Amino acid sequence: MASDLAGTADKTLAHEMGLDEAAIERRRRLVGLGPEDSKRIATIRDAITQRAEEYAALFFNYLAEVDEARDFMRNRELVEQARRLKIEHLTAMVSGHYGAEYALQRLRLARLYSRAGLEERVFMAAFHHLLRAIGTAAVRAAPEPELGIEAFFSLQKVAFLDLGLMVDVMVAERERLITRQQEAIRELTTPVLQIRDRLLMLPIIGMIDTHRARLLTENLLHAIRANRAKVVVMDVTGVLAVDTKVANHLLQTVAAARLMGAKVIVTGLSADVSQTLVNLGVDLVGLQTIGDLQGGIEEAERLIGYEVFLRDARPNGVAAPLRSL
Amino acid sequence: MSDPQRIAIGRDADIVMARQAGRELAALMGFKGSDLALIATAISEIARNILVYAKRGEIDLSGAEEGGRRGIVVIARDQGPGISNVEQAMRDGFSTGGSLGLGLPGARRLMDEFEIESQVGVGTTVRMRKWVRR
Amino acid sequence: MSVPILRHGNVLIASIQVAQTDDDLLKLRDRLSEMVGQNRAKGVVIDVTAFDVLDSFATRTLRDIAYGSRLRGARTVVVGIQPDVAFAMVQLGLDLGAVSTALDLDDAVAELSRPPSEVGRR
Repeated sequence: MASDLAGTADKTLAHEMGLDEAAIERRRRLVGLGPEDSKRIATIRDAITQRAEEYAALFFNYLAEVDEARDFMRNRELVEQARRLKIEHLTAMVSGHYGAEYALQRLRLARLYSRAGLEERVFMAAFHHLLRAIGTAAVRAAPEPELGIEAFFSLQKVAFLDLGLMVDVMVAERERLITRQQEAIRELTTPVLQIRDRLLMLPIIGMIDTHRARLLTENLLHAIRANRAKVVVMDVTGVLAVDTKVANHLLQTVAAARLMGAKVIVTGLSADVSQTLVNLGVDLVGLQTIGDLQGGIEEAERLIGYEVFLRDARPNGVAAPLRSL
Repeated sequence: MSDPQRIAIGRDADIVMARQAGRELAALMGFKGSDLALIATAISEIARNILVYAKRGEIDLSGAEEGGRRGIVVIARDQGPGISNVEQAMRDGFSTGGSLGLGLPGARRLMDEFEIESQVGVGTTVRMRKWVRR
Repeated sequence: MSVPILRHGNVLIASIQVAQTDDDLLKLRDRLSEMVGQNRAKGVVIDVTAFDVLDSFATRTLRDIAYGSRLRGARTVVVGIQPDVAFAMVQLGLDLGAVSTALDLDDAVAELSRPPSEVGRR
């Protein structure tokens, strides 16, 4: 069931965020929310729940006026789902119970906003707008304005509890999205290209950290198997900041490729960088390097057994074939 | 969480059994491709260490879950002669048992967490953990 | 379990199908050593495609086999190291030294057929 799946996802998120009963208790204490507050909130409960739909509408009408929320509001299904959850939220806010169940509800709503691309500050502005409306209503509905104001202050504590939870979730979700995007970018920037039968090229561009080096190496090794590569031309012209660590990552990649029977020719290693590495004591013995990419590819072809001829310029246009030895 | 699985190490074939069991458990915990090979290799090295230096011991394998991430825990115990100089043993290439020097430091390199406790005349315990990369 | 060792011309091919214990590997080493002499083999191919782990012992034994074969005039090629295994090996710091490697049997046999002068110019 879709709702079950959602429930599981929420619970996993709660687990990942370390939101157990103890953590929620700490959050309640942080905003100063206690049993006294629940009592005060009880006095305005009916006034709020009776108009929950109205308040929810207020929230979304506010968003409709905000440019940044345009994309979110355009998604009818999502907005409908959010509306239902909002009504639930408002009812829960005045329920007097703010434990694990309550927190999970907040997570669900926050995840929805996050997936829809609603930003925290936009959400907070709408929430604030909603709260003001509720505050006004609370004061009016109470037997005495003072009681109403006290009840509202208590409700505000709940609101802060909510904000804390929801913003934390939205931030966590965004970080996860960024991580996924970074992965995708890493994948894109470490392509392994097959430029000839049994010849692969790996142009390495940018910063090489441990994570990226690992990805690079794994991709290359799998490509060697998939393409039955005999030679790999690894071009490091675009590598920024070649230090001992980076050099060792590259050497490891070369070593692993060798274990699979593939020879690696490193191209693009400038004289400067080479000297730096030698000075740093990096052992480059056994590493075959060729200054430029062109030269590297030619050498690779030669190693595999290709001979490349220029097409004959004779009138009868007989071309010398590309042949594999 | 899964119950710890204990593999007695007393002969050659046990090394293979320990690393295969480790691989299976790692796969269950969600480890992929190259991490499976890393874990199996680390277990192989540790198991052999037990066999060579202590003749007998055991390896406990269990899954772990902490702060939303999953992983594998490997604990290798023996009542062997113990290591007099743990620091030296953990240095790459050092060995008294004939070019098996890569065993302990090697295993440490492959795992995320690594602890070793050893007392001469009492025995050695190695605890290693690896977490599923996200 | 005994590893099947086939003869292909003057090349011996050991195709390891099943997980090998340390002892099995040592037995393989000894068998190959004997067979290289008996058959005056010029090449030895060890197929480790089925290996899911190549640890320090296995690596050392492969090097021993190569060394022993060389003493008897045969070159050794190890074939079929899988991507994940190769990765784990370099992480662990293992290497096969001067032992040749190839992707598969075809390449290994081709490698062994190359004239000796080409060897080392890899």
